[in-house]
Amino acid sequence: MPAFAEQAVASTQSHNVPARSATMAGVPVRVAIRNLDFYYGTNRALKSISLDLPEKRVTGMIGPSGCGKSTLLRVLNRMYSLYPGQRAEGEVAMDGENILAPDADLNSLRSRVGMVFQKPTPFPMSVYDNIAFGVRLHERLGRAEMDTRVEWALTRAALWGEVRDRLTSPAAGLSGGQQQRLCIARTIAVRPEVILLDEPTSALDPISTLKIEELIDELKRDFTIAIVTHNMQQAARCADQVAFFYLGELIEVAPAAQIFTAPKQKKTQEYITGRFG
Amino acid sequence: MTARDPSIAAALGRRRRRIDQVSRVLASSATFIALALLAWILFTLLRLGIPGLSLNVFTTITKSPGSDGGLANAIVGSLIQTALGTAIGTPIGLLAGTYLAEYAAGSTFGNIVRFVSDILLSAPSILIGLFIFSILVAPFGGFSGIAGAAALAVIVIPIVVRTTEDMLSLVPVSLREAAIALGSPRWKTTLLVCFRAARQGILTGILLAVARIAGETAPLLFTSLGNSDYSGVGSAMASLPVTIYQYAASAFDDWVQLAWTGALLITLGVLTLNILARLIVRRR
Repeated sequence: MPAFAEQAVASTQSHNVPARSATMAGVPVRVAIRNLDFYYGTNRALKSISLDLPEKRVTGMIGPSGCGKSTLLRVLNRMYSLYPGQRAEGEVAMDGENILAPDADLNSLRSRVGMVFQKPTPFPMSVYDNIAFGVRLHERLGRAEMDTRVEWALTRAALWGEVRDRLTSPAAGLSGGQQQRLCIARTIAVRPEVILLDEPTSALDPISTLKIEELIDELKRDFTIAIVTHNMQQAARCADQVAFFYLGELIEVAPAAQIFTAPKQKKTQEYITGRFG
Repeated sequence: MTARDPSIAAALGRRRRRIDQVSRVLASSATFIALALLAWILFTLLRLGIPGLSLNVFTTITKSPGSDGGLANAIVGSLIQTALGTAIGTPIGLLAGTYLAEYAAGSTFGNIVRFVSDILLSAPSILIGLFIFSILVAPFGGFSGIAGAAALAVIVIPIVVRTTEDMLSLVPVSLREAAIALGSPRWKTTLLVCFRAARQGILTGILLAVARIAGETAPLLFTSLGNSDYSGVGSAMASLPVTIYQYAASAFDDWVQLAWTGALLITLGVLTLNILARLIVRRR
């Protein structure tokens, strides 16, 4: 184990002295990715990635298609473990443990690291049950407590006003933008620490996109967020720090303001000015 | 630049129109023949079956020729054996189909199971009757409604396996991943999300399986045999298809009449199930 990785693990273990983010001065690190390699079979899709997700900040991940940003998200909740032939090497430290360890409790990990996908994925059940589904997996709540939790989650996802009268109707009847906010509500209802957003607005119209972006801004008060996006304006609007990926490598990570105005790497500059990608 | 000769284009257009007309006529006549045959069958059934319809058919058991018998025991026997066959075959089919769709993707064993199930799907039903005869009738010394139901269950299984697997495979990967991303274990994802998403298709498959076995005769010939009275599932049991088979070939006019009426009843029952299955699919 490299020295800095040890340090990351040690420091997240003792909460008194949390590791500080390199890019976001003074902000504790929530998730520390160290020397991460990822393979689809023999194809190396991520090459030695080291990146910190600062606590209660938004990390934007940008880069051309196939650069590995979505792959990185799928490492952070071990989604890749569903598929034989996909494997990760290196270390991802969170709450003092390496989540890549073979004996990691994946269901508990996924209750701490929620994920929202590109296309809205409402379950074939009522609005209420969509939210309650995830909660029931991890907690035993009475009827009243569950009602409170559902309302809380829908309110935080800026959806409560629109669905309060149709909690028992099928979620599939909601509009695309509402469905995506429902998926966000479903994720935060489990009360995770980290939320992963994989191009959450690419299937939505501009108004719904705006609502989700406002929501992200609001959610970072309580959650550490990582968002993959193809939209550079979106990264600039939402993210506190931005990581630029290219061909499986992390080229540059910097505060959003800095990376879009004064990128240090030539590749980053070429990408954000639209010269490729 | 390649110059286009308008006369070639016109000739091509004529040729295509001709091919279009010919194929349209062929397809329409084939459709007409198929539909006409079906209409003919239904019409014959109604013409010959309706005159025998009376309350007596439903309330009186089968009797010797000339003594004003009905079909009550055959109807009850058919209902019991169909229900039992479905009750035995459906869970096995559901579980095996789930195994194939959720756990056996790409595995050799899964491919073998799928292959065997497909063979069973097209196996002659008389063979299934003989098989049950050799394991449930001959060794236990007698025909029984249970044996009949078991033979019907063997027919149900591959149908339900196929539809369950197909319908579960249609559930998008994204839906599974969304449930798993919330921390749902595999079995809960399958049970609470995938099954719910696929339930209409699966239910339709079960209804079609019921419709199929409701009219099966061959598997019952050597298993439940038939009975001229009401009976329990432990002994030989009457059923509509077997009664029709016996009565239709008899020399007695009132028996032949009952056979037609019985055939009409089965057809109406199967038709109702099919329409029900359609309605369930359409409700989506």
